[in-house]
Parts: sequence; structure tokens; C-alpha cells
Amino acid sequence: MFLETKELTKNFGGLAAVFQLEMSVREGEIVGLIGPNGAGKTTVFNLITGFLRPSGGRILFDGKDISGKKPHLIAKMGIGRTFQLAYLFPEFTVFENIVTSFNLYPKSSFWEALFKTPSYRRKELYILEQAKEILYLVGLEGVKNVLGRNLPHGYQKLLTMARALAIKPRILLLDEPIAGMSLEEINYAMSVIEKIRSQGVTILLVEHNMRIMTLCDRVIVINFGNKIAEGSMEEVRQNQEVMKAYFGREDAA
Amino acid sequence: MVAGEHAPSGGRNWIKTVAYAGLIILLFLLPLFVDSVYYLHTFIITLIYTIAACSLRTILISGQLSIAHAAFMGLGAYVSSIFARELNWTPWLTIPLGGVSAMVVGVLAGYPLTRVRAIYFSMVSLFVGLAIVALMGVFQKYTGGDIGLIGIPPLPSITIPGLPTINFLSSKIPYYYFFLLLTVFCLMILHSLENSRIGMSWKAIAQSYLVASSVGINEAGFRVLALAVGCFFAGIAGAGYAHYNMVLTRSSFGFLSSVNLLIYVLVGGTGSFFGPIIGTTVLVIVPEIFRWLKTFAPFVFGGIMLLVVFFMPQGIAGLFEQVKTKFLHFQERKKPRDVS
Repeated sequence: MFLETKELTKNFGGLAAVFQLEMSVREGEIVGLIGPNGAGKTTVFNLITGFLRPSGGRILFDGKDISGKKPHLIAKMGIGRTFQLAYLFPEFTVFENIVTSFNLYPKSSFWEALFKTPSYRRKELYILEQAKEILYLVGLEGVKNVLGRNLPHGYQKLLTMARALAIKPRILLLDEPIAGMSLEEINYAMSVIEKIRSQGVTILLVEHNMRIMTLCDRVIVINFGNKIAEGSMEEVRQNQEVMKAYFGREDAA
Repeated sequence: MVAGEHAPSGGRNWIKTVAYAGLIILLFLLPLFVDSVYYLHTFIITLIYTIAACSLRTILISGQLSIAHAAFMGLGAYVSSIFARELNWTPWLTIPLGGVSAMVVGVLAGYPLTRVRAIYFSMVSLFVGLAIVALMGVFQKYTGGDIGLIGIPPLPSITIPGLPTINFLSSKIPYYYFFLLLTVFCLMILHSLENSRIGMSWKAIAQSYLVASSVGINEAGFRVLALAVGCFFAGIAGAGYAHYNMVLTRSSFGFLSSVNLLIYVLVGGTGSFFGPIIGTTVLVIVPEIFRWLKTFAPFVFGGIMLLVVFFMPQGIAGLFEQVKTKFLHFQERKKPRDVS
């Protein structure tokens, strides 16, 4: 398995936000993680990316245990993420947002950066080239020099994806990538996600808007921090547990 | 074009270079026009505080508002003085030593502080500063306690074969050149760091530490690095001051001095590298001009601050930016529009 959680548990005081969750993602897949509000989806993301430390259980990435590691080390291993809100560097331009996010390789030392050695300049030029490629991939070249805070919401969301791509992720965790977008923007964002996947990046995404689930190879449904169903969108839709979680009564829908 | 340099500045970089070179040459020629000891003293103090204010801004751009910076200046000053006084080491060696010891203390205090952010960081840093100043009063045999430390050796004279000996006690001019060179050197390093990937990472952490760590920026590491660099140059500035003033009192490195340094940076503008330089120059020299007002001089200081807060929220350097932006827009409007 590429990414796997084993009996993953997170308690907030007496509340178990995630309880003994077992889920897995295969390399090259697009997997959707859905569930009602408060089901623990974002908590799972925060646990995988190291922003929260698990209370119990393990997270395995490519066979290595990554549970409880610092976020920047997890990013270094190739796990990129976006946040539910369009968090970005508001005082940087779009291009600077992406360039700044190239932190992992090629890496320059303190002295190289201080003296701006030829090798430092070479590495930075390489980064600029790579950043331009990402800019074109997500289609933000038109707003390259706009400050992050002045971007419209849809562009901000695209920029957060572009930024996550800068770490050359092997798996990308997208937290509500199309929330708050117009229909047009949703279609465009979905085409970008397709493009990212076609470059060989595995994707795990959380979304309330079911339109995006047409992209997913597989859907995992969680409720109260536990997996209640898994399978294709069609299979999940028929599942009694899922209906109960979403609509409250078994005879609903 | 490397990180931090890809703003659309076009081909105007050489104008900047010429302007900087001109300014530095002007500063080097200044003693030819100014022979007043009092003015030279004011300029020297301005230079020392410029180093301190610029190094404080380095810490500020990493999102850490430190209220201990004057204490780190004091730390460098005391370490350098004690080594020079007690062990007879040459100040050329003890000044870097002062910087290094301020850096070491900054890193040791700063590492646990990476767990707190924003106002909580400022509050703890305040107590770090108070603790350092309190320490200066403890070992009275070496620090002089509240009476102060006297008899600090001046910079030793320099003899270059074929040239007249440079004696630092003869007048203030050798000191002026020493601090001018030191300032240019320190500012070049700080400027280079800020306009590199390191500076970009500092600014990124300040804007969103969550996003920064999600793209692999080691938040704690870069924050400690900013503290290390900032405290090192604060220590250098303080140590230089010690061998210029030759008398130290610990009260000159207390809470109010740290706040003063912050005011220099904020009035000048945190958004630009030149902010603290402008802020220090204005706030050190202008109160000196109004010295004849005696007890009312602090009101001038306060008045400047209020004016800046009301009319220039980005600081004095920010005002230049605003004017520049307006001018550029004006130019753009004059150009014929693209019809496509």
C-alpha cells in the first residue's frame, strides 16, 4: 500500500475525532474521502501531514512509518497538501508564492545563499523554470504578478494547488479543492486535478460537492472518525450505513 | 533573477546601484564638511543604531516581534568589554566574540521560544531581555553592577606601513570611518540574506506558518536562524559601541531601549530594507536638532510617531513606495493603450 492508516486514533479531550481508522490509498489513484460535517475528514488530513500528532495507531507512507513526524519532514517525503480555506502567502505575488514553495530540492546552504554563489544562482534559475511550468499547468500565468491577497477566490484555490505541486509531491491531499467555486471554475479545477493525476501524482481529496466524485476511482466514507463504507460512488450511494449517516433515517432517500 | 529578485523592476537596477554608491561615497566624504565633534558623535550613534535596527528587522520579517534586542546589544557590549578589560584581548577579537555570544544566547533562548508565536513570543522575549539585563548587575566584580563598567579600552591604533598611524583617541573621525565600514559590511550581509531563498522563507513563515510548513519550510529552524543572525549583529553593534563610549551602564540596554529600537524600525517601515535606516536616522538626528527644547524633546519624538502612525502606516520607507506606485501608474496612463 502507498498510504495506509492503521488503527489511527485522535482524541480531543474526551472526544474521539478519529477512532481506529483503517484506510488505504494505492499509488496512482484518486480517492475521495467523504462524510457528514464533523466526521473527522480534516482531522485525518492533519494527522497524515503531521499538523496533529495521533493519539494512537500508525500512518504508513510507502512502507515507512510517518506518524507524529513534523509537517516539514512529511512534506519532504513527498506528501503535499492544501487547506480547507485558501491559505496562501497573501503578501507575495502568485509567482513568488510558487517559487517560495520550492524548498526541498535543489537545496542551497546558508553560505551559498549569503554569497549568491554560481551554484546557488543555477539552482534558483532551475527553480524559476520549474515554477513557470507549474504556473502553466494550473493556468495562472495571466495573474503571475498579482498579490495573493488580491486574487479572486477561485484563483486562490488554484494557487494553493500550484503551491503544493512545488514540493514535487508523490501524493497530494486536497481539502475541499472546489469549495466556494462557480460552476465554470469547478469544471476548470477538475480538469487541473485530472492533469495533475496524469503526471503520476496520487490524489486523496475531501469534498462536500459530489460533482468532483466523478473523478474518483474510489470513495471512502467516514463518520464519527470511523470508516463506514468504501467502494465506487455507485456502491457507496446504495450503502445503508451511508444513508443513515447522511439522512439520519434508514428509510430516507 | 534569483529568489526575491523577480519583482517586475525591469532595467532600473543600475540606477539603484549608482544611487547606493553615491550615498556611500557621500557618507565617506562627510567628515570633510563636518568638523564638529558633536555632529560626528551623533552620526556615529546613528550608525550603531542602524546596525541594531536593521538586525532587529531581520528578526521581525520572520514574524517574531522581539522586545529584547537592546539586551542582546548589551550582551555583546559587556562580553566584549569584559574580555578586553580582564584578559587584555584586543577589541578586534572581542567585538566578533561579543557578536557570537549574543548569537549563542539568542539561539539558546530562541529555540524553546519557537513553540510560541505572535504576541506570546513578544511577551516571553520581553522577559528574556529583562533577564539578560538583570544578569549584567549580578557579577559586580566584572560588570560593575549598577555603577556601570568603566575603563573599557578604545580600539587600538592601526599602523599600516607607509601610512600615518590611525589613532582612535586622536579625534572622532577614525571612529566614524570604522563604524561606517562596519555598517556597510553588516548591512550588505543582512541585505543579501533577505534577498535570498532564506529571506523568502522568513517572510513566508511570517505570513502563514501553516502554509510554510506544508511546503517543507522548517519553521523552527528558520525562526532560530533569524534570531541567530539578528542577535549576532546586535551583539556586534553593542560591542562596537562599548569600545567607542568606553563606559557602559546596564540601564541603557533595558526595556525602553528595546522599545526604542522597535520604534526606529516601525517608523522607518518594516516593509523595506531601508526602513530601519531611515527610521534610525530620523529618530536619532531629529530629537538632537530639537535639543534646545530640553524637557519637551520627547514630545517631538512622540509627535513624529503619531504623524507616522496616522499618515504613513507603512512607515517612512512605505511613503516612498506609495509615491513611486502613484508615479508609475501615472506613467502607465500616459502610454498609449494596447488595442487588441
